[in-house]
Amino acid sequence: MTQAEERDTEEETAALKAPRRGIFGRQTAPLLPEAGAAGAPLTAVIAVMSFLAVLAMASLLMVNRAASEWTSALRSEITVQVKGASAEEIESGVEAVLRVLRDTEGVLEANEKSREETAELLEPWLGDGNAQAFLNIPAIIEVKAAPSLRDNLDLLRNRIAAAAPTASLDDHARWHDRLSGAARSGQAMAFGVFLLVMGAACAISIFAARAGLAANHEIVSVLHLVGATDEFIAAEVQRRFFILGLRGALLGLFAALAALVVAGLAMRAGGGTDNFLPSLRLGGWMILWLAAAPVATCLVTAVTARLTVLKTLSQQY
Amino acid sequence: MDAGKEIVRFEEMGLAYEDAPETLSDVTMTLREGEFRFLTGPSGAGKTSLLKMIYLAHRPTRGRFFLFEENATEAPREALPALRRRIGVVFQEFRLLDHLTAYENVALPMKVAGVNQNQYREDVSELLNWVGLGDRMDAKPPTLSGGEKQRVALARALVSKPDLILADEPTGNVDPAMGERIMKLFVELNKLGAAVIVATHDLHLVQSIGKPVLRIGEGRVTRSAGAGGAA
Repeated sequence: MTQAEERDTEEETAALKAPRRGIFGRQTAPLLPEAGAAGAPLTAVIAVMSFLAVLAMASLLMVNRAASEWTSALRSEITVQVKGASAEEIESGVEAVLRVLRDTEGVLEANEKSREETAELLEPWLGDGNAQAFLNIPAIIEVKAAPSLRDNLDLLRNRIAAAAPTASLDDHARWHDRLSGAARSGQAMAFGVFLLVMGAACAISIFAARAGLAANHEIVSVLHLVGATDEFIAAEVQRRFFILGLRGALLGLFAALAALVVAGLAMRAGGGTDNFLPSLRLGGWMILWLAAAPVATCLVTAVTARLTVLKTLSQQY
Repeated sequence: MDAGKEIVRFEEMGLAYEDAPETLSDVTMTLREGEFRFLTGPSGAGKTSLLKMIYLAHRPTRGRFFLFEENATEAPREALPALRRRIGVVFQEFRLLDHLTAYENVALPMKVAGVNQNQYREDVSELLNWVGLGDRMDAKPPTLSGGEKQRVALARALVSKPDLILADEPTGNVDPAMGERIMKLFVELNKLGAAVIVATHDLHLVQSIGKPVLRIGEGRVTRSAGAGGAA
């Protein structure tokens, strides 16, 4: 070996042994570039999707709660109506029915509505004061029934008919069926909207993943040439979409929660929660269910991006 | 002496891009473990296309191609990454990722292979030190000169200690002294068992290194010459 070659070798050895600066603790950048300007619109779209998904989920939960409240109230109550040609006949019928009810196991409470209360129910159709003046208004007896009685109403119906032939028992079955049907329709509609939002998130993710692959064609090509598998590249894309999705989903969740709180306050101010409409109470399980919607949006976005990348890459060499 | 394992073998291989005439025709050659070949020929002769075939950027349109004794012509897509990880390529146009630092570019083959950073950190920094870029590890390619980019590309090709090294004009953008160092490194790696193919126009370099030459012209391997280019 010549002197020059020996010197070169020594220099190279020294270079190899040179202290390494700034390497330990080095954080490497993502292999795919940050989305930059393209990331903001995607985040915004995912935020909108997440917002809609939370509202759809809130609708579903509200309809569920309302249906449950309505139907449980209907199932625990039955009504007995006592008609008659005169006030005396109605009065004797009511007494006979009340005797039967007091002797019936499963009747928790039985109260006759006053004539005034019953007349009030008719006033919207007959006008103020007209109902009591011109009609023998039937008596209404409200009964709170145990579930065991509910399942065996025919016996009670027969006993009431025997005690007071002008009395009739209404178990609200027709209302119950109609309300259940309406609730199921509402639930199906809310769930349908939720699925549509997920479908839209899917479609957006497919489009964005394809566009991202096209824009980063050179990077993907280099990754392949240094030995990256399709799964590796898809995982990188999925990670990026998950981060974008998470940002958007959280934005959408907070916006939707704010909207629900405002809507709840508005309903309360308008007295909407006093009667028929379900209340908007945020808390506990409700929050968890609502949070599931943006999580689903985020996961759908990330997984769809991964599958899109895998499919697209499988068509290349 | 037993012949080493086959690293590359082409049998009557042809390559055509879509409907165009064949870029490479009837290429038949074998490269064995521990062999070194220069690939020379005029511009457009097909040197880069031949290298692309070997590093699995293209499939041959006819003939057969074996890589590490596996039939790469019919290899399923899932089998390609494992084959590519055994090859280190110095691309003519460098093909560095602009959003990554020099360090991250060199570490790329290790990262995609799932190697823990603790295991390759020292190798990467040693290589960058060796190519004279120890103080530019955090620089991104757009801020590097052509020669510096070429050295990063070289370090990236060597970091995984590949069984086959392919270099397309590896000295084209560096000064003669660095060019000579790079070629000597290839020779040393070749002595350690790596097969090497270097495509170059630099006949002076070819003669100074004294390794067998494969000449390519108009898409055909026209002549296989002995050491230093002697036919």
